[in-house]
Amino acid sequence: MTGHSAEARTADGAGLGWYLYGVLDPAAERNDVAAGPSVDPDHEVMVLVEGRLAALASEVSLDEFNETVLPERLNDPAWLEAKIRAHEQVLEHALDKTAVVPFRFCTVYRSEAELRSFLAEKGQLLEDALASVRGKVERGVKAFADRDALSAGLGTRSDAVREQEQRVEAAQGGRKYMEERRLQQLLDDELARARSDYASSIHARLLEAAEDGVLNPPQSPELSGRDEQMLLNGAYLVPAAAGDFDAAFEALAREYGALGVTLELTGPWPPYNFVPRELGES
Amino acid sequence: MSVRDEHALRHEVTLVELVDRVLNKGVVVSGDITLSVADVDLVYVGLRVLLASVGTLERLEAGGATGGGTGR
Repeated sequence: MTGHSAEARTADGAGLGWYLYGVLDPAAERNDVAAGPSVDPDHEVMVLVEGRLAALASEVSLDEFNETVLPERLNDPAWLEAKIRAHEQVLEHALDKTAVVPFRFCTVYRSEAELRSFLAEKGQLLEDALASVRGKVERGVKAFADRDALSAGLGTRSDAVREQEQRVEAAQGGRKYMEERRLQQLLDDELARARSDYASSIHARLLEAAEDGVLNPPQSPELSGRDEQMLLNGAYLVPAAAGDFDAAFEALAREYGALGVTLELTGPWPPYNFVPRELGES
Repeated sequence: MSVRDEHALRHEVTLVELVDRVLNKGVVVSGDITLSVADVDLVYVGLRVLLASVGTLERLEAGGATGGGTGR
């Protein structure tokens, strides 16, 4: 196979590669799925049809996207943010119109021929991945709980906590300090149990309204940008059109709000969490 | 917290959502036909706290089997 752009050269010589955003149905070969801005604004987003699949891709300068300079680029927050946002916007635009199998950031081929032979080689696996997300989108749900609010929401204490509170009352001096420490430990355990129980119940209820779901590790406060502890970080695959999931979310948000838990819904996202991480041997 | 700080925070939070997905999820192509950037841990050195934390999450998810160093 001879990709015509394999020999393309830019003025400074490194040439052009192909950046792959995602894989689509070939019927999606329409002007309306490919829209910029691309990760390299000099080149438009295109749909390359190969057999029963189509690639959402754009040419990129290999001066900018190559193994030698990328380490530096990735260290540049402004560059990284702009490219990540471009990657996502290209996929989101397509997602409005058709099913998308999203690829990870910076999947770059040296030529159109290499990209096409990848599509041909992994065709069946990619078709299966596409079939599993057709008509569906990803939603994100996070649950946060402030310690005090969670504690207040728990209401009645366990017997163990009440007994320990009595021991604290009765104790004196150094002994009292030890009993207080023990009480604190019991309360912490109780809160941890509540967080875990709440997370399991919320996840189970959301799964009932979804086709699939995954639990990712809760993010630390420095990453989530919130003071409250995150107790659930879930992603759910849901029908693109249906409102069942939103209704389930709203009901949970009300219910758990009364228990001191705040729920947050994001998306629709391209189904990043519901495509194979790696494509095995076909 | 000032309005500007809040705006900055919201912006950052959205970016975290994005980074979490775009860098950590999606199909990863390995092999000699790509630039193999996906295999490189260096994506975690940028954005310091932000990506360092995301990298930690990813290693947790992978059960510590990602190899290739700490990414710092």
